[in-house]
Amino acid sequence: MKLPSGVRDWLPQEFAFKRDVEERIRDVFRSWSYSEVLTPTFESYEALEQGLGERLMQQTFRFADPLGQSLALRTEMTTPIARVVSARLRQASLPLRLAYVATAFRYEEPQLGRMREFTQAGAELIGASGAGADAEALFMAIETLDAVGLPDARFDVNDAAIVDGVVASAGFDGESAETCKRCIAERNLVALRELGSGHAVDPPTFETLLRLTMTRGRDDVLRMAAPICATDRSRAALERLADILRRAEALGWRERINIDFALLRDLRYYTGFVFEGYIADLGFSLCGGGRYDQLLPRFGYEVPAVGWMVGVERILLALERRRADERPRNEVDVLVSGSDAVARSERERGLRVRLDVRGLDRDALLAYARHKEIPRVLIANCDGVEEIVVDRDR
Amino acid sequence: MNGERLVIALPKGALYGESAARLCRAGIPVPQDVGRRLQVRSDDGRAELLVLRSADVPAYVEFGAADCGIVGKDTLWETDRSVSELADLGFGACRLVVAARRSDGYHEGARYPTFLRVATKFKRSAQAYFSERDVPCEIIALHGSVELAPLAGIADAIVDLVATGRTLAAHDMVVVDEIARSSARFVVNPVRFRAKYDALVSLLERLHDA
Repeated sequence: MKLPSGVRDWLPQEFAFKRDVEERIRDVFRSWSYSEVLTPTFESYEALEQGLGERLMQQTFRFADPLGQSLALRTEMTTPIARVVSARLRQASLPLRLAYVATAFRYEEPQLGRMREFTQAGAELIGASGAGADAEALFMAIETLDAVGLPDARFDVNDAAIVDGVVASAGFDGESAETCKRCIAERNLVALRELGSGHAVDPPTFETLLRLTMTRGRDDVLRMAAPICATDRSRAALERLADILRRAEALGWRERINIDFALLRDLRYYTGFVFEGYIADLGFSLCGGGRYDQLLPRFGYEVPAVGWMVGVERILLALERRRADERPRNEVDVLVSGSDAVARSERERGLRVRLDVRGLDRDALLAYARHKEIPRVLIANCDGVEEIVVDRDR
Repeated sequence: MNGERLVIALPKGALYGESAARLCRAGIPVPQDVGRRLQVRSDDGRAELLVLRSADVPAYVEFGAADCGIVGKDTLWETDRSVSELADLGFGACRLVVAARRSDGYHEGARYPTFLRVATKFKRSAQAYFSERDVPCEIIALHGSVELAPLAGIADAIVDLVATGRTLAAHDMVVVDEIARSSARFVVNPVRFRAKYDALVSLLERLHDA
């Protein structure tokens, strides 16, 4: 039997490795006092649609129930969480800190780092705005990549409001502003130059915009953007970014964070601060997030929110390339033969116990224990229980 | 720059020579002829070159198997690969056009048949062009010598690249409309652009000046 394309099985050793990574991520969630939640794998398309950009909409697995109601598999977790918070957690005091580790589904061309079923882990800080909340999302993500064993991960940050401000100063509005932002997000300099020559732009500002699109740095980016941030919103965003960088510096993370003016992520979704984390050896990002103040209002709950997520399989891919998963895995602490009671008392001590169900003799039990790297064997018979410590240096 | 080795994807075939010459002038000593080798170190050892079928360059760059590459815009039209297009290098210029037999008179305003058959290597671009103009058509995907299709009677028109127009003229065909202009582009992997920022920006500047 063949599997459909874009999904996979997880065999014991691979799955143990995945679980291990997920547990390390959960430890970080706990240490930041986030509570884990879970929503249904599928729900009504109408609810999920609230958070979907055009691309995700095309990638949604949709189907109908027998009564013809349109359902869909979740493509990510932020929208379902926004729905739950709006519908069921309005009495809860703000800010809310919710986290998840869950599978999501997208109809994509399956390829490296992109499957049709995948696992996302993430956290949402709902009902708080400002640099402190934005920094919390970023810092949690940094600690998460540290915790899974990727301490060399780098993070790029930006704010959609800064780009809006610069694009407006350069003379773009309405549709041309959208096109301009899309070119910046793709870092398509060729298209950007063409766009600039076809519009009545302010030439010096447009030159700065082009330069910004290629510049990545810290204070230098803030300095370059400051004079052409025309709106109050964009000036406030610059202040926030500067504040986040100062906080990161105090934690010793200065060198790991850069401002990338072309980092915009999903344009329909994010309203302010955005970030992405990556390592040099993979060609795609490992984690990302940002502020999405317009999502909960679409469910009728007027609160701001910031969140981030990490692709669990992408982390596994990154670790795999470094061969960090080659440590031997011993699944069994003790092999027990001839007594259910002995086995139970070993389990009660918290050990991982394997029972012999084949009635093997003493030699066969020892051979099996050596093969499986089981350190102890307990053989019970009418004379009592014989304990053998298995010689591992063979 | 400081010693970061770049992996550069280059297209085999028509664009290779000019790409190699341009890289040489930008300070990366690339051999003019790589023979049958697919993986080549630059003469100073500072860059590694992957010599690929042109259509595969975007995939290698998107996955980060190469940090950057040179590829014709015509190839980028036909893929969904997300790579950042940092510069138009200008060479390899050609036009993507609709062409047909001179005798059909489409270039002088004769109407297309109600269901147009179009032979092309550029399926996506052709589809987009005709659906934008609401012309019902059937795309016949071919891999080469597309200009033969109308003569052999399997298509009414073709969508193909034209550099000098001599091939068309030799088959008594004419350009009906220009769809787009192509030339070689310098593309980078979006994440590598950040991870190897200094090396890539410096290469981009040298390519501009070269």
